[in-house]
Amino acid sequence: MEPKAIFDLLVEHLGEGSAEFREHDIEPWACVSAARIADAGTFLRDDPRLEFNQLMCLSGIDWDGLDENGKGKSTAILGYTGDGVPEDSDRIAEGDFGVAYHLYSHTQRHKFTLRVRVKRDVAAVPTVSGVWSTASWHEREAWDLVGIRFADHPDLRRMLLSEDWEGHPLRKDYRMPDQWSGVPLKGQPYSENPFTPDAPAADAPAGDDTPAEG
Amino acid sequence: MTDDVKITNRGWESQDHASEMKSELLELNMGPQHPATHGVLRLLLQTDGEIVYKVTPVVGYLHRCTEKIAEGVDYKQWIVYTDRFDYLAPVTNNHAYVTAVEKLADLAVPERAEHLRIVTAELSRIASHLIALATFGLDMGAWTPLLYCFREREEILNLLERIAGGRMLYNYMVPGGVRYDVPKDNWVADVLEFVTMLENKKLPDYNTLLTYNKIFIERTSDVGIISKETAFDYGCTGPVLRGSGVKFDCRRDDPYSLYDRFDFEIPVGMGEMGTVGDCWDRYIVRVREIEQSCRIIRQALETLPEGPYGTLELKKPVKVPAGAAYSRTEAAKGEMGHYIIADGGAKPFRNKVRSCSFCNLQVVEKVGVGLMVSDLVALVGSLDIVLGEIDR
Repeated sequence: MEPKAIFDLLVEHLGEGSAEFREHDIEPWACVSAARIADAGTFLRDDPRLEFNQLMCLSGIDWDGLDENGKGKSTAILGYTGDGVPEDSDRIAEGDFGVAYHLYSHTQRHKFTLRVRVKRDVAAVPTVSGVWSTASWHEREAWDLVGIRFADHPDLRRMLLSEDWEGHPLRKDYRMPDQWSGVPLKGQPYSENPFTPDAPAADAPAGDDTPAEG
Repeated sequence: MTDDVKITNRGWESQDHASEMKSELLELNMGPQHPATHGVLRLLLQTDGEIVYKVTPVVGYLHRCTEKIAEGVDYKQWIVYTDRFDYLAPVTNNHAYVTAVEKLADLAVPERAEHLRIVTAELSRIASHLIALATFGLDMGAWTPLLYCFREREEILNLLERIAGGRMLYNYMVPGGVRYDVPKDNWVADVLEFVTMLENKKLPDYNTLLTYNKIFIERTSDVGIISKETAFDYGCTGPVLRGSGVKFDCRRDDPYSLYDRFDFEIPVGMGEMGTVGDCWDRYIVRVREIEQSCRIIRQALETLPEGPYGTLELKKPVKVPAGAAYSRTEAAKGEMGHYIIADGGAKPFRNKVRSCSFCNLQVVEKVGVGLMVSDLVALVGSLDIVLGEIDR
């Protein structure tokens, strides 16, 4: 089934105004209001004409810099200064958060893309892990790396990072912490790098390479 | 607390003392440094005697936040990072990424490059499947097949080294083509010779040694059954999905590159030794896929066209217009997807990697319950995970 026809069925179920269709992108997609996403997922999975029985991918996105149509310029993410130290910036990102769902039906052999967009200060989307079990880990990853809360998720813990890690690295205004659990994360300036051959370690005694007598 | 768990392992239902001797649950750590976990995977188990009541995989020990790195580098500069996902089959990862970039940038690829991509990707897939057979056998206590499989893998590494320059990590593909043409020293003939040798001599060897070995069958059949519905629900792909009897392969059903031109079968699990979707089915799918990969390689090399092997100059950056696209390919372990959002600049705005092992591993949370600890080893081994791709 074509994406437009799938979208028409979806709108028929959800009611006018709760979803929009964008077909002029490389891949057509439907924007659904966040509150209805679990409902939309259940309908797409269970309707005999659609039968989207597999969630291929779920991605959390920090849309800072890009508007609803994907237009705009992203601001540069924080990197490292020439000295190998993480850049220190007080910039606070303002853009929305988004989640993209890529669905596939093994019986009908068609694909569909859903997107959800929420305000940055809300940063919460209902979970779809009750619809497709695979969403559980994907949502944990999105919470871990982007910091989107999934309401009613049965086990929303960090997926890849350590439990006591601070911040969400894929946010556009993420600033690398100076240390974690006593481990320094700040890089050393290149000039003080002990591994460069022309800069011997400060505590090494001079003339160390001459063999000791006796 | 433990009454609602159904013990699925054979033999235990009939033993009454199993229920009489019920005690409290024991928390057990399997990994992260355990030879049967295929890397730094930690499985947090709750066991009662030998029976597993809860499995919680803990991953992330190899996390490098590659997706953040992607936002800071050029489209082409990121290809090297894709090699490090599934380091047992790096070329298939390259293929997944360049396919996504080409879809966004609408780049055409010359036919010779597509043929070379398919040949190297299939060689890489065979190498990955050989390791899967070897380590799965090792988990089940068969030591010898490991040596045999690594011997053939070495041949593949030599062949790929001759065309791509690297032994383990190749960085071979670029958007719009491949990095190097076929070497002048009889490479095509050597690949064909290797493929014929593998099909006619080596695969029958593995079958005698491992596949139809009575002990191996006893250890793997009817163990860790993943039903079709569970496989869909948990997003399983690749040999895990096909082991559950689903005839689906991205190369055939969602074709990319030139796979639709070649003639090959999609092997599926048929429950020959037990139930559809057991560990043996997932194993045999990989053995049969090696045969099919050999067929694809032979066809691709016999029809290898003349012409250029790339369209873009290597030093020029790729121009990607604003937009978003999800592209999926069949990597060695399942469906490798890239969701790239471009803002029209030199670097991607967001690059989400959907890795096959990440989704395949999640299913142990469901299927691992009720198994014996030793059968859990069989289940994890049959999923053929690689942690570099799960942790990214």
